[in-house]
Amino acid sequence: MNIRDRKLAPIWDKIQQGQRLTLADGLALYTTQDVIALGRMANEVQQAKSGDAVYFVLNQKIEHTNICVLSCKFCDFAAKKGDERAYEMTTEDVLAKLTPEIREVHITGGMPPDWPWERYLDLVRTIHHRLPEADVKAFTAVEIDFFHKKFRMSIEEVLRQLQAAGLKTMPGGGAEIFSERVRKLLFNQKIGAKGWFDVHSTAHRLGIPTNSTMLYGHVETLEERLIHMIKLRDAQDETGGFLTFIPLAFQPGETGIKPRNMFTSAIDDLKTIAVSRLMLDNFPHIKAYWVMLTEEVTSVALNFGADDIDGTVGGEKIAHDAGATSPTTIAKEKLIQMIRDAGKIPVERDVYYNPIHVYADNVIGKIPYLNSVPFHAHLEKQQFRLLPVVPRRMGVLAAQGELDAGLFSLMDFLRLEDVLEPLGWCIATRDQVKSVMLFSKEGWRDLEGKTIGITDDTATSVQLLRVLLEKKYHVHATFERLHAGVNDCSRFDAVLLIGDEALRHNKAGLDGFELVFDLASEWYEWQKLPFVFAVWAIRKALPEESRRDLAGLLERSLDACGDDFASIAGTHGRRIGLTEAETQEYLEGFNYKLGEREQEAIRVFRRFQAELAASGVGNGDSREG
Amino acid sequence: MYVQDILAKAREGERITREEGIELYRHAELLDLAEAANEIRFRKNPGQQVTFVVDTNPNYSNVCTIDCIFCAFYRHPGEEGEYTYTVDHMIGKFKESAGHGVTTVLLQGGVHPSLPFDYYKELVRRTRKEVPEVFPHFFSTSEIIGMAHGAGMSTEQVLRELWDAGLRSLPGGGAEILSDRVKKKISRLKGTSADWAGVMKQAHRIGYKTTATMMYGHLENEEDVVEHLELVRQIQDEGNGFTAFIPWSFKPGNTPLEKIIPHYATPTRYLQMIAFSRLYLDNLPHIQASWFSEGKKTGQMALHFGADDFGGTLQEENVHAAANFVNTTSTEECVRLIHDAGFSAAQRTTLYEILRVIPTAEVAV
Repeated sequence: MNIRDRKLAPIWDKIQQGQRLTLADGLALYTTQDVIALGRMANEVQQAKSGDAVYFVLNQKIEHTNICVLSCKFCDFAAKKGDERAYEMTTEDVLAKLTPEIREVHITGGMPPDWPWERYLDLVRTIHHRLPEADVKAFTAVEIDFFHKKFRMSIEEVLRQLQAAGLKTMPGGGAEIFSERVRKLLFNQKIGAKGWFDVHSTAHRLGIPTNSTMLYGHVETLEERLIHMIKLRDAQDETGGFLTFIPLAFQPGETGIKPRNMFTSAIDDLKTIAVSRLMLDNFPHIKAYWVMLTEEVTSVALNFGADDIDGTVGGEKIAHDAGATSPTTIAKEKLIQMIRDAGKIPVERDVYYNPIHVYADNVIGKIPYLNSVPFHAHLEKQQFRLLPVVPRRMGVLAAQGELDAGLFSLMDFLRLEDVLEPLGWCIATRDQVKSVMLFSKEGWRDLEGKTIGITDDTATSVQLLRVLLEKKYHVHATFERLHAGVNDCSRFDAVLLIGDEALRHNKAGLDGFELVFDLASEWYEWQKLPFVFAVWAIRKALPEESRRDLAGLLERSLDACGDDFASIAGTHGRRIGLTEAETQEYLEGFNYKLGEREQEAIRVFRRFQAELAASGVGNGDSREG
Repeated sequence: MYVQDILAKAREGERITREEGIELYRHAELLDLAEAANEIRFRKNPGQQVTFVVDTNPNYSNVCTIDCIFCAFYRHPGEEGEYTYTVDHMIGKFKESAGHGVTTVLLQGGVHPSLPFDYYKELVRRTRKEVPEVFPHFFSTSEIIGMAHGAGMSTEQVLRELWDAGLRSLPGGGAEILSDRVKKKISRLKGTSADWAGVMKQAHRIGYKTTATMMYGHLENEEDVVEHLELVRQIQDEGNGFTAFIPWSFKPGNTPLEKIIPHYATPTRYLQMIAFSRLYLDNLPHIQASWFSEGKKTGQMALHFGADDFGGTLQEENVHAAANFVNTTSTEECVRLIHDAGFSAAQRTTLYEILRVIPTAEVAV
């Protein structure tokens, strides 16, 4: 990277070493004239997190009413009851707007004085039941706070009831800018930073992930924008429940607020995307919300750190000219085009950001865990594109034919053996693993009849746990799948975690679970064999040349690493709390070559698998959480 | 050769070949291209400064016989809505523009079958005499060729007589895409690449300064783009008469070509084109960002992708407006857009002499 602005060089060093940026760093980034260097830094950080993927969702925005008890200066949406502009939608009106392909229903609206609580619950419940494919993302913190006051329930109770009705995630609106000075000037009827964070952290505790926003380009200072980001970063450290950050450029419209300029400049928009990507190191996604940002800036923002383009929102207005094609489909095609145009791969997601469809060829699934870093650290992509995805999802996508290659969880590899060809590389343990861990309140034999929370990320570790319980210890327990994202684990008797999450808790401990078992050492002590967690494979349908190319690229990446894992994976390790020595030791514990003993281990495991299946014990008895 | 090697070569000021150009255009990542383009841009035009011109873009006539399928502006002789203004009328317009601070008039018409050559000479002569505040930047190569046909003269003779009347600068329009494969499809009657190149070379030899343009986003491919830039680079090697290169994307509204190309070329493609042309055209001093044809936000972004000029304020414009693509600004807004993109704004003449610098008031965000 060639950085023209000398102020940026030390900041880039910090980022590469995994150090956190300060307010002063943020100011240096924001005020640089070297916009391209800023963009490249953000793009590189984004690539490390989401590869070549840009996410979109087939969604529909619903504003159930514009009647609102507040009169905020910046809002030209709200109306008073009896106004000519005022409207209220019934649940049936809402359903009429939802087409079958919709996966996310985004509901926010005014705060009417006379809607009973049951009407909101009914709205969420009815959508949830009538359109099971569509997940409900509803109500900003401001609305939740309004329900809490109006219906005299705690915020937690409001959220619990909505969750029971089918609420999955929440939008991030109402944050505006976390500055009392600005709040008093512009948003004095809104809840302010404390109220907003109360709602969001409560939601995260209940297992409801949320979005976050920042309204910029009005009267706020750069310092206030950065403080806003830092507050979000601190909160994310505590709960981990934020999915994405959405900077929203202020639109003056008819609001009566006079910002410095009528509209933010394209450069301010791009800088805000890039700076937030660099400041919010613990946020998985940064959103370029195309409806507000304009299509002009959005396609460029996808090279400035954004990996999320929102969705079809309300479809395209030109739809009526296009006959049978739905507005959502037209908007979807446009989004796909915008993402491809930016040189990225369009990935359709669900409400939790799990990939559902991949609209590109030559896509490799990339396991986002520390143990696969050696495969990727020096990987030249050439014709291949990378999609970071947890093992279980990789299996689902490969079964749909949407991934061409990847490091597949063993269970998925065995299931898809007809269409997959192994590349000779794998993730196998020698005698322990440290990242497939059972955190338990009880010893093995006391788990009989108990409930174990299991990771949603993979099937292999879950099956290994099942084999150990049934075949080694002869106990039977019930499995319940954890949510993607945030969870309350305390109600389980044991919890199975894998990957970086397991590593982090292996070091720091998991509150309430005193016993920690390493599944690979349990297996090794019992079978005196390594355990193969994942296998590199490519679709058989691809030309022989692709298979050779990829096998060669993987070998070159591993060779380039040699035995020096600390320098390639140190930053990743630090992010989950490991020292360089611990990272080095962890990675030395793996064998990456699929050799004879590894093949033998697969055969033994497969035999246990078959026995369990024959006796009716297997995937069937795990309940979805 | 790998993309990174080609970029390194371009950075060091070495000329990239046609094949390397195609490789770069196909495979370089957007910000890699931008980074190298910026380096060259600041080497050629140092300082955190962007130039602009206060200009207007009227038309003396919309009568045209060439039938380009990308154009929504022209009318055939006798067709409803056709117009041709008198010299008096045009001089009146220029005076009014001069009163608003305009220093450049970019004047084009159609290729009119029957206007006498004296009309064009009169336009130039009277403009220089009666409106000395404005600099005429008149007549595309197609019009020059049309005048030569009409008057039974060579294009060189036409250029010399216009020079004697006081014309010193020509716009680069009519180039479209300098690939005969594509030109045949979109503007069959407009002449070949060689015709455009011939007029430009003659003009540069006489002493004219001109711009070079490119209209992309229709039927061209990467090779056509590189062919276009290659020709511009060759002409510049010979005569050094180009001041700036101005790419713009095809606007499909209200044109026959719309049926084949229903979408705008995207902003990303435009930024790529700006950066790429900065790297390929190693002998051109200026690359112009066209906020007018691409949108103000895209124009701002282009200033970070290798462009050093923001074009004109365009007090009047009719050709894009005919394709339903309307964008307006004032001098004040033009300066603000440049400031907000992080640069001082420098008002220039047609020939890129700086008239005044308006420093940015604060560090842009």
